[in-house]
Amino acid sequence: MNGDNPMHAVVAIKQVPDTSNVRIDPETGTLIREGVPAIVNPYDIHAVEAAVQLKERLGGGKVTVITMGPPKAAEALLECVEQGADRAILITDRKFGGADTLATSYVLARAIEVINAELPVDIIFFGKQAIDGDTAQVGPGVATRLNIPLITYAVAIEEFDLAARRAVVHRRVEQGIEVLETTLPVLLTVEKEIAPVRHAPLPRLIAAARYKPEVWTATAPVPFDPQQIGLKGSPTVVGKAYTPSPRSGGEVISVAALGLDAVVARAMAVIEQAHVRNLQPGTGVVS
Amino acid sequence: MNAEQPTIPRIWVFVEQQEHQVHPVSWELLGAAKRLSADLPGSVVEAVLLGHQVADLAPQAFQYGASRVYLIDHPVLEIYRNMPYAVAVSQLVTEYRPEIFLIGATTLGRDLAGSIATRVGTGLTADCTELSIDPANHILAATRPTFGGNLMATILCRRHRPQMATVRPRVLPMPEPVPDATGEVVHVPFDMREEDVPVKRLRLIRAEEQPNIEYADVIVAGGRGVGGPEGFALLQELADALGGMVAASRPVVDAGWMDASRQVGQTGKTVRPKLYIAAGISGAVQHRVGMSGADVILAINTDPNAPIFQIATLGIVGDLYEVIPALIREVKGQSYDGQAHL
Amino acid sequence: MTGRLTFDAIVVGAGPAGVAAALTMARGGLNVIIIERGRFAGAKNLFGGVFYTHALADVLPDYWERKPPFERPVTEQGYWMLSPDSVIRVMHKSERYQKEPADAYTVLRARFDPWFAEQAVAAGALLITRTTVTQLLKDERGRVIGVDTDRPEGKVYAPVVIIAEGVNNLLTQQAGLIASDLPPKYVALAVKQYINLPAKELQARFGLSGPREGVAIDVFGDATLGLPGTGFIYTDQSGISIGVGMLLDEFVTHRLRPYEVLERFKNHPVVRPYLEGGEVREYGAHLIPEMGYDRMPKLAGDGVMVAGDAAGMVDALHREGTNLAITAGKIAGETALAAHQAGDFSAAFLSRYRQSLEGTFVLQDMKQYRRMTDFLESSPQFMGTYVNLLNEAALRYFTAHGIPKRTMEHEILKMVRERRSFTGVAWDMLKLMRAMRG
Ligand SMILES: Cc1cc2nc3c(=O)[nH]c(=O)nc-3n(C[C@H](O)[C@H](O)[C@H](O)COP(=O)(O)OP(=O)(O)OC[C@H]3O[C@@H](n4cnc5c(N)ncnc54)[C@H](O)[C@@H]3O)c2cc1C
Ligand SMILES: Cc1cc2nc3c(=O)[nH]c(=O)nc-3n(C[C@H](O)[C@H](O)[C@H](O)COP(=O)(O)OP(=O)(O)OC[C@H]3O[C@@H](n4cnc5c(N)ncnc54)[C@H](O)[C@@H]3O)c2cc1C
Ligand SMILES: Nc1ncnc2c1ncn2[C@@H]1O[C@H](COP(=O)(O)O)[C@@H](O)[C@H]1O
Repeated sequence: MNGDNPMHAVVAIKQVPDTSNVRIDPETGTLIREGVPAIVNPYDIHAVEAAVQLKERLGGGKVTVITMGPPKAAEALLECVEQGADRAILITDRKFGGADTLATSYVLARAIEVINAELPVDIIFFGKQAIDGDTAQVGPGVATRLNIPLITYAVAIEEFDLAARRAVVHRRVEQGIEVLETTLPVLLTVEKEIAPVRHAPLPRLIAAARYKPEVWTATAPVPFDPQQIGLKGSPTVVGKAYTPSPRSGGEVISVAALGLDAVVARAMAVIEQAHVRNLQPGTGVVS
Repeated sequence: MNAEQPTIPRIWVFVEQQEHQVHPVSWELLGAAKRLSADLPGSVVEAVLLGHQVADLAPQAFQYGASRVYLIDHPVLEIYRNMPYAVAVSQLVTEYRPEIFLIGATTLGRDLAGSIATRVGTGLTADCTELSIDPANHILAATRPTFGGNLMATILCRRHRPQMATVRPRVLPMPEPVPDATGEVVHVPFDMREEDVPVKRLRLIRAEEQPNIEYADVIVAGGRGVGGPEGFALLQELADALGGMVAASRPVVDAGWMDASRQVGQTGKTVRPKLYIAAGISGAVQHRVGMSGADVILAINTDPNAPIFQIATLGIVGDLYEVIPALIREVKGQSYDGQAHL
Repeated sequence: MTGRLTFDAIVVGAGPAGVAAALTMARGGLNVIIIERGRFAGAKNLFGGVFYTHALADVLPDYWERKPPFERPVTEQGYWMLSPDSVIRVMHKSERYQKEPADAYTVLRARFDPWFAEQAVAAGALLITRTTVTQLLKDERGRVIGVDTDRPEGKVYAPVVIIAEGVNNLLTQQAGLIASDLPPKYVALAVKQYINLPAKELQARFGLSGPREGVAIDVFGDATLGLPGTGFIYTDQSGISIGVGMLLDEFVTHRLRPYEVLERFKNHPVVRPYLEGGEVREYGAHLIPEMGYDRMPKLAGDGVMVAGDAAGMVDALHREGTNLAITAGKIAGETALAAHQAGDFSAAFLSRYRQSLEGTFVLQDMKQYRRMTDFLESSPQFMGTYVNLLNEAALRYFTAHGIPKRTMEHEILKMVRERRSFTGVAWDMLKLMRAMRG
C-alpha cells in the first residue's frame, strides 16, 4: 500500500431486511422474511458516501464496494454504484452460508487483501453495525486480520494526507469526541454523521442500471480457505430462537370507571411498592 | 510458562476503566459470572484489568466477586486504544485460557471484543441480554435480541475457547459488594513501545455531561402521547418529586423534544429502575426491550389496548394530563406530611 | 455539461401501462428509459386484485412460460348483496374456468409489477427507480422534448414521452392534454387491506379445492353503507384482499372516513368469519379515475402520449383497469415505433394512437359505459334501497310463517311500494338499461 497511486477506498456493505418492517409469525414464532424489503444497511450507505466524498475532496481516486451475501445482494451494490462507487464485487456462494462474524471477517479480509494486491488500499470503511445483527464486530475483526489500525464510531475525517500516510479522525466515545491520528491504511467503522447521504445524480443511476457487479465465489477468482468460511468457519451456532416472552402485566384500571382519586391512590400504592419514596432528587446522574 | 492446570474453568470479566473510573457494567458482569460459576463445577471468577497506575482498582473487583485480578499496568495503556489493548488481552487469553470471557457492550467493549475474538480465533456473541450455562454440556448459552428486537436467539460456542460475550449495561442486576473480600493480584508483564502504536490521541473534545438514565432508580418516561416538548416539563416535575430522571421514546427524540441521550429502547439505553412510569408510550417491542427489566412499571395511556399495559404492574387508562398533575400533588403532599426528605 | 442524456423514448411510470409501452418499444429496437418514483416497480401500487390476462398475452405472448407471480386463478366469481344483517349471493362457478392460463387471476401488485417490469428490462428497456419526474421539458414551440426529474443532473431528452403516471395526472395536465384535476365527483377512493391466512384455512373458508382455485366477489349494499360504491373480497395465494371503494364525493358529503367504512365492512356478521385470525399485512388507499369516456383527456400532443389511469382508462363497472392500461400502453408504444420510422412526432401523427385504440375494447367499453358514473350517483337507491329490499324479500320468502304464500307476496310488494314507488322502480330500470348500453 503506497502513496503514489490515487486514493483507493474499500467499503464493506451488507444488505439487510428493513427491520422496521419485520414481523413474526405468531403461530410458529419465526421471522416472516417474505415481503420485507431489503435495504443497504443504513450505516453502510453513509460509509459509501464518506468514501465518495473523500475521493472528491482529494480530487480523485477509486471506491470499491464489496459485500458477502446472497445473489440478491447485488441490488445493494448497485445502490452503492449509484451513490458513486466505481467498482462493486459480490462475494457469493452457498458455501459462505451460515457465516458468523468470525467467518465473515475472514472472507472480507481475504477479499480486501486481493483487492489491495491489484491496487493498494488506503482506507477501508465499514458501517458501525448491521441492523439485522447489531453485532458491530465484523469491522474490528477485519482490521485485526489485516493488522491495520482500527477506529470505530468514526464521525469525521479531519485530515487525510495520502503522501504522508496519515489521517486525523474523530470518533464518538462516551466522554465526547476523541480526535485520533493514525497511519494509513486504516479501517473505520462509521456513524451516520460521517457524511450525509446525497441524492444521487441521474447519470449515476443510469450507469448503475447498466453496471454488472463482479461475482466472486468461494473458489474463483480467489480461493478462500474452506475451513474458515460458512458454517465450518463459524465457532458460534444458534441454539434456539424464540419470540421474547412478554413480562406479564398486572391490573389495568381506568380513570373513567374509577374516578381520578381512586386511580391515583392505586398508583401511589404501586409507587410505594417500588420503595422509591426515600430517594434524593438527582439520583442516577453519574457525573 | 503457565504451570497451572488448564482444566480449571475460568470465567473472566473485563474490568473497563477510563480515567480511573470503572464502568459499572464490569460489576454487573462479575455478578453474572458468579451466577454462571455456580452452574459450572470447579470454576473460578476472575477479572482482567488494564491501564496505567490502576492497581488500586483491583480491590473493588474482589468486592464484586473476583477471586483473582490479572493486572497489566503499562504506559501505553494509559488511554484506551484498540491495538495495545487487544494485543495485551489476547496475550493473557492465550496464556491462561479462560473458559468464558465477558465484556461490557460499551463503546470501548465493543471496539475491543471483536479484535480479541479474531486474534484468538474464537466465537463472540454481541450485546447479550441473558447468560446461562447450558446444563447438558456445560457451555455458555448467550441470549441476545435480533431483528429489531422481534426475536431472541440463544447462541452457543461449542468447540472454541474462550466463549466470549458482550453484555449491555443494565440488563443484568448490580450485585451487592462484599466489603472485605480479598483476592490475588497477578501482575502480568507487557512489552510494547509507544512508537509501535499506530494511533495517537491528539485531543478529547469533552461533551457536556450527559444525563445517565441508565443508572437512575426512578424514571418518568414520555412518548409521542405527551404531544410536545412543553409536556416534558410536567414529567420533569413528577421526576423531581420522586427523585428520578426523565426519559423518552424514540419518536420524542426524533422530533427533537428530548435529547438522544434520554432515549430508552433498542436503539437507545437499557434501564432497570425500581420504578418506571410510562406516560403516553404505546409500548412497542423496541421500547420494551429497553425497560422491561424495571421492578415496577406504571403506565398511563388513553388507549386501553396499548401494548404497554401487557407488561405494566399497574396500567391506568386515562389522560396523562389529568393523571400526572394529580400524582404530583399526591407525591408532594405526602412528602410534606412526615417524610422529611423533600 | 457533456452531452444530454438522450433516449429514443421516455416512459413515465412503471405501472401496467408504462411497462407495456416500454416493452413494446424495446422489442421494436428503441432505446427506452422508464422512470418510476417508487423504490421498485409496484412499491406503492395497489389495486383490488383481479388481473385479466388477455391484454398481457397480447404484449407478451409467452408470458406463461415466464412464470408470472399470479396468486390464484379466478374459478368462481359473482356478487354479494349485503343488507345490514344478511346477504344474497349470486356466484358463478364453471368447469370452463378450470383451465390455465386462466382468463383472470388474483394478483398482488407488489409482486406482479416488479415481474412485469423485469420483462421490459429483459427486452432492453432501462428502468430507473426512486426517481420522480417533476416536469415535462418543452421546446420553444411547446413540443415535448423530454422530462426533468428530482435528481441532480436529472434532465432526460427524447423525441417522444409516454405518460403512464396513473391517476394523479399532474404531467398529463402539464402536457395540456387535460384541463385540471379530476373533480371529486369523477374519482373514486378505494381502501384495501391484504390479510394473511394460511392457504389451507383460506381454501376451507371459501370452499376451494386447492391452490389452483380462487374467488372474486364484488359486494354491494351495506359494504358501502348503502351508498353508491362497492366492496370486494378476493382470495390470494395465502391471504385475502378486501376493500371498499366509493366516489370521493360520497366520502365528503357523508363525512365518512375510508378506513372506518372498511372496518365496518370487515366486521359485518357475514364477512367477519372469513377474516378471523388473519393478520393485516398491507394497508393502502388509492384513487380510481371514473371520469368516463366523455371527460377523458386528449391522448396525444406534440411529442407526447398518455395511457392508463392517467387517461382515465378504467371500466369501473367491471373493475377493469390493468388490462385497459396494458393494451393502451402497447398501442402507444407501437405508435411511437411508427413515429420513429416516419421521423414524425407531431400531435397529428401521434393521433394514430387514439384511432387504433378506438378499434379495441378499451375505448369501445368506455364508450358503452359512458353514463355509468353519473347514473349511479343520481340513483343511490340501487345500492341502498334495492339491496335491502331484496334481502328482506328473501327473508320472508325463505321463512315459514304459517302465512299463506299469496299474502306474503302482497306483503313483499307492499314493502317495495313503501320504499319506492312503482313508477320510480320502472324509471330506475330504464335508466340502468340506458347506462349499460351507453
Ligand atoms: C429498528 C427499530 C429500533 C427502534 N428503537 C426504538 C428505541 O430504542 N426506543 C423507542 O422508544 N422506540 C424505538 N423504535 C420505535 C418503536 O417501534 C415505536 O415506534 C416507538 O417506541 C413508539 O413511541 P411512542 O410509544 O412514544 O409513540 P406511539 O406509538 O405513537 O404511542 C403514543 C401513545 O400515547 C398515547 N396517548 C396519546 N395521548 C395521550 C394522553 N393525553 N395521555 C395518555 N396517553 C396518550 C396513545 O394512546 C399512544 O399509545 C424503534 C423502531 C425500530 C424499527
Ligand atoms: C382499489 C382498486 C381496485 C382495483 N381493482 C382492479 C381490478 O380488480 N382489476 C383491474 O384490472 N384493475 C383494477 N383497478 C384499476 C387498476 O389498478 C389501474 O387501472 C391500473 O393500475 C392502471 O395502470 P397505470 O399503469 O395506468 O397506472 P398505475 O398502476 O397507477 O402506475 C403508475 C405508475 O407511475 C408512477 N408514477 C406516477 N407519477 C410519477 C412521476 N411523476 N414520476 C415517476 N413515476 C411516477 C407510479 O409510482 C406508478 O408506479 C383497481 C384500482 C384500485 C385503486
Ligand atoms: N456480509 C457482509 N458483507 C460485507 N460487509 C459486511 C457483512 N457483514 C457485515 N459487514 C460490514 O460490517 C459492519 C458491521 O456489521 P456487524 O458486525 O454484523 O454489525 C456492517 O456495517 C458492514 O459494513
